[in-house]
Amino acid sequence: MTYLTRIHASLAVLLGAAALLSAAPFPIQVELFENVPKGTELKPLGLQPTASYQEPAFAFVRIPARYSPNALPLDRSTPYVLRAIYERSFPAGEYQFRLRARGAAVFSIDDAEVARTKPQPPNTSGDDPVPPPPSTEKLIVRAAPYPHQDSVVRQKLTAGLHRFTLVAVVGGKGLMPTPGELAVSYGMPGQLENLLGPDGSPRLLDEEWDAYVAQAQKRHDLDDMQRRRAMSADVVEAWNQRHQAVRQWLAGTPAVPLPPVNGSLPLYNEVDRFLNAKLEKAGVAPAPLTSDLDFLRRVSLDATGLIPTAAEVRAYLADAPATRRGHAIDRLVNSPGWADHWVSYWQDVLAENPGILKPDLNNTGPFRWWLYQSFTDGLPFDRMVTELVEMEGSKTLGGPAGFAQATLNDSPMAAKADILAQAFLGQKLGCARCHDAPFHPFKQKDLFSMGALLNGKPLTLPSTSTVPVRPGGRRPAVTISLKAGESIAPEWPFQNLIAHANVGPQPASLPSYSSIPTRDELAALIVDPQNDRFAQVAVNRIWKYYMGEGIVEPVDDWSRVQPSHPELLQFLAREFVAGGYDIKRVARLIFNSHAYQRQSVATSTGADAAARVFAGPVRRRMTAEELVDSLHLSAGKRFLCEPMNLNPAGDRPATQFLDMGTPERTWQMTALSNERDRPALALPMAQSLIDMMTTFGWRQSRQNATTIRDDAPSPMQTLILANGNLATRLIRLSDESAFTGLALQNLPLSKLVEESYLRVFSRLPDQQEQQVFENLLAPAYANRKVSGVQASSARMKSDNRVSWSNHLSSEATLIRMEEERNQRMGEAPTGRLTAEFRTRYEDALWAMFNSPEFVLLP
Amino acid sequence: MNAISRRDWMKTLTAGVAVSGVSNCLNAAEPVIKGKADSCIFLWLGGGAAHVDTFDPKRRGDGAGKAGSYYDSIDTAIPKVQLCEHLKQTAPLLDNCVLIRSLNHDISSEHAAAANLVHTGRKPSGTILYPSIGSIVSHELGAKTDAVPAYVVMGYPNIMRDPGFLGAKHGYIYLTQIETGPSGLVRPPDVDATREDRRESLLGQLSEQYAKRHPRDASVEAQIAVNQQGFKLAGPQFLNVFDLKRESPSLRASYGGEFGQRCLLARRLVQSGVRFVEVSFNLNFLNGSGWDTHNAGQLKQHLLIQDLDKALSTLISDLKTNKLLDGTLVVVATEFGRPPEFDSGGGRGHHAKAFSALLAGGGLRTGQVVGATDELGNTIIDRPVSIPDFHATIHTALGINPDKSLFAGQRPVPITDHGTPVRELFV
Repeated sequence: MTYLTRIHASLAVLLGAAALLSAAPFPIQVELFENVPKGTELKPLGLQPTASYQEPAFAFVRIPARYSPNALPLDRSTPYVLRAIYERSFPAGEYQFRLRARGAAVFSIDDAEVARTKPQPPNTSGDDPVPPPPSTEKLIVRAAPYPHQDSVVRQKLTAGLHRFTLVAVVGGKGLMPTPGELAVSYGMPGQLENLLGPDGSPRLLDEEWDAYVAQAQKRHDLDDMQRRRAMSADVVEAWNQRHQAVRQWLAGTPAVPLPPVNGSLPLYNEVDRFLNAKLEKAGVAPAPLTSDLDFLRRVSLDATGLIPTAAEVRAYLADAPATRRGHAIDRLVNSPGWADHWVSYWQDVLAENPGILKPDLNNTGPFRWWLYQSFTDGLPFDRMVTELVEMEGSKTLGGPAGFAQATLNDSPMAAKADILAQAFLGQKLGCARCHDAPFHPFKQKDLFSMGALLNGKPLTLPSTSTVPVRPGGRRPAVTISLKAGESIAPEWPFQNLIAHANVGPQPASLPSYSSIPTRDELAALIVDPQNDRFAQVAVNRIWKYYMGEGIVEPVDDWSRVQPSHPELLQFLAREFVAGGYDIKRVARLIFNSHAYQRQSVATSTGADAAARVFAGPVRRRMTAEELVDSLHLSAGKRFLCEPMNLNPAGDRPATQFLDMGTPERTWQMTALSNERDRPALALPMAQSLIDMMTTFGWRQSRQNATTIRDDAPSPMQTLILANGNLATRLIRLSDESAFTGLALQNLPLSKLVEESYLRVFSRLPDQQEQQVFENLLAPAYANRKVSGVQASSARMKSDNRVSWSNHLSSEATLIRMEEERNQRMGEAPTGRLTAEFRTRYEDALWAMFNSPEFVLLP
Repeated sequence: MNAISRRDWMKTLTAGVAVSGVSNCLNAAEPVIKGKADSCIFLWLGGGAAHVDTFDPKRRGDGAGKAGSYYDSIDTAIPKVQLCEHLKQTAPLLDNCVLIRSLNHDISSEHAAAANLVHTGRKPSGTILYPSIGSIVSHELGAKTDAVPAYVVMGYPNIMRDPGFLGAKHGYIYLTQIETGPSGLVRPPDVDATREDRRESLLGQLSEQYAKRHPRDASVEAQIAVNQQGFKLAGPQFLNVFDLKRESPSLRASYGGEFGQRCLLARRLVQSGVRFVEVSFNLNFLNGSGWDTHNAGQLKQHLLIQDLDKALSTLISDLKTNKLLDGTLVVVATEFGRPPEFDSGGGRGHHAKAFSALLAGGGLRTGQVVGATDELGNTIIDRPVSIPDFHATIHTALGINPDKSLFAGQRPVPITDHGTPVRELFV
């Protein structure tokens, strides 16, 4: 299947899903207006809307993303205006209407204004008072979150059709360009209200509101995806044409000859042929094939960062033995987890480092969102790299423009040149920042001339990026070939990889969208098929990701390159290019090889390329992300985390306070940036996640690019998994836990143990294990259920009255300190199981999650 | 911007010895000094404590148009040296201390950047991540016994306290409140000893079987080994250190509130073998803003100073009583000071070009004041001490050579950015 047809196929699936979500057309007509002349915001007359869409009810928590022609997220004007119009009939009578908005809004009935809220002033204070908690006594509807305004009016309506109009100003100078909880609800005076909309619209209660918001987010995610794919179809086509041309060019170059093998070793595909040739010569026996279940667990983690679910294990086992591995590979590389998993990797490699509080310590924009959408949309890798180098799109909403940012850095473009060169060309220029590199063949000028290509004009060497020679001091041991203040012209520094002169319109010109021509020039040189280093570095990174060792080591520094399997490297690179720079194609080649499907080998062979034979993949521990995401999946619990936003009041601009949303997967976590050490800035739920993640090697601050994390086992890992707040929450048999659900079913005890093993270890217990856990649970199993107790859906919540604008008040401090203590207590256990049984079962789960089998890949 | 940090190792390369990693004192004429302390308690006044309202008092201002200190000054155990009137318990003990009144740097706009500088001694470079001073001490000295960690933080985990290129094993154990205990170490409140035994027995069986299925596998062995180390750390020997009820009620009372209790815990930690304890004074519920006393934060600043006074003076006496003062360097630090002028709300802005720190014990020649500021505390008039010099002084006191190179991969990075210890504190 070509790239394009695959996109179409997945679009068709998505469109089918969309049809389900929007079975009936939504009745509320919404329009957005941008760059509305000042003073006329609430009467956007005679303007063309920049977006039109529908919503099911009068709640506007999320607006459609705006995209560039090549599908990069863009900012809307701030402020922009939202207008929603809806007509419906009401029986005659008096009604109560509630307009809820953070900023200026007007609500009209039959074109007559009935309610209005005031503009939100930008706020530079931190000393505002925390508003009093909503009084539970008087509260009929969900409380307005601080600092939203409620304008409540009573209005007599005649029987029949009425027209309802909301006009709201969103964002503005010094404000977050987000709508907050913009909504209109109605009800009988003094009674519970529903969102304005057709009968049956959600009631304004916390639970129904939360469910509505969750649904709206999903709906908008899907809608954004469809829209950006549809509108950028011609860009996809342009890249497709370029890849056709590349394939034609490739056909005229000699193929990589397959080495002869004597056939004594198992061979699943061409990858094995290259490896077997060396194994045979070295007389090394490859590791035996791994078991089907071990294979499933490993490939699930490698492809998606998640262990398989019990249902996936069952489906896999129900599949024919001859095809189950292949089918699992197909399913996994096309699952949503594929994108999640790759984002984590590139966040490290590209030093994605957003700061949610006044960006400063080498912070970038949150270009994770663009990474995610690129992997979700299956962008070819050369297009991704081109768009990264072009650095366009929104800086704060996650476009590649965020990559350009490097706060407090004395030469951001030099820093970015260093990151790009090691990520995509294996050229480590970092040591050339202040002088010629002492251990690499690079001069300082190489780094700055590449930086100048990104800059679009010459770069000046800052005085802080050099080594001052003090009068009378000794000559430095390093060579300093540039002077501070010197201007370095844009120039391609790697003539040895591809001569600049060779790049021309052939094989096909690059579909480019940059406002800076030298960025396109740089991108064209990096991704040119004649620059075989690019494809080789990419496939070597993929290989290392799955096999544990690179064909070239280290993957980001090829200055003393000595591939262990030069022909395999060429072969994979050629496959990558021929396949339109599709990472999945290379992943499939690896996953389907016998080499990948062998049992893990204990340790890597180290730097010696001659000794590297790939007898099997190197055993590894789960990454921080894999561990935390898999623990949630296994326990059947959702992420519990505050919104990554220290300005929920919205009264400071996005350039100072990023709203990173509420994470649902680990890669969406962000450093909490509490260098101020203020309890009122703490986010205790997020902290519990971050504690475990950092202990297992996740970097909360990615000030520099890294491919290989510090993954040495440490006693703190044991402890955080044994006693940490997150582990305690996930093991706790609350009503949300999938294990609670299992225990409440009418299963024989042996079955409960089996199911638990499937959920945790992706396998069935052996006889001895079965016995150990049956013995533990049996004394309390028969009478485990407590009758007459309802499941609780209560979840810990963050007090949303605290925001930057009032975090300097004593009360804000006390609120968050209290939340920290509650966090330590964990969530309430279910009342539907006896404490005797529950504690036994929790202890069983604790032992399973803490056993080496859980964290080490098979 | 980042140059100091990148340049520094160049300077040592200039001396021609850094690559070999051996001692590379910059000025060959001066021998390397080595202090006698073996642990450090680092009290952090986050937010920027006003030097003119604490350690470097000046003539009285009025909280409005007239610049100056907000409080009266009192005499101390060091002749002719005064402190703010709210440091009345510390004043008679000041002969156990050194005041540095001439710290300075150039970041007054941003707390995070300044706090990061004071913790790492460097500005960020973007090519490597610099370690915190606690991580460097952990790297150089390690814990005194394997039953305790080397580095403990009472405050929020964040980048400035992180191990940077030294790697996770030089990170810290932290707690944000005495009440919640150290994250990860303490058993969840509902797990009693019976359950803990049951858990460990089950885990033992699972681990053993797994190891049997994977014989001679180094990664499996390593995993099981760190598990055992981990459970040792969570054992009673270390956890009992956190049990402040083992101290006399009168001592606990004299340490004062939450900050004092943290200082008491710091003493217990040092006693148990921890090398570096950072204690954050972030009790912002006292006045809202903590030490970042803009506007109305100024009004109740004296409550912070009184808490600090109680805790610091008791810590010094308590260390002395336990014969730990000579071996324990106590540092009181902040990211910057505050100007003598008042803002329109009656508080103070930020001031980085002159501010103060206090050192106590640590085998230093105490009873000295290093540096001086002008009449109102705006400008340094004598003996400026840079942040690298400040770090070099702390390292030297702990017997660590501040010029020694650590390695970020192949790249040598001296412990301090060309810092020179304040000599007169040692000889």
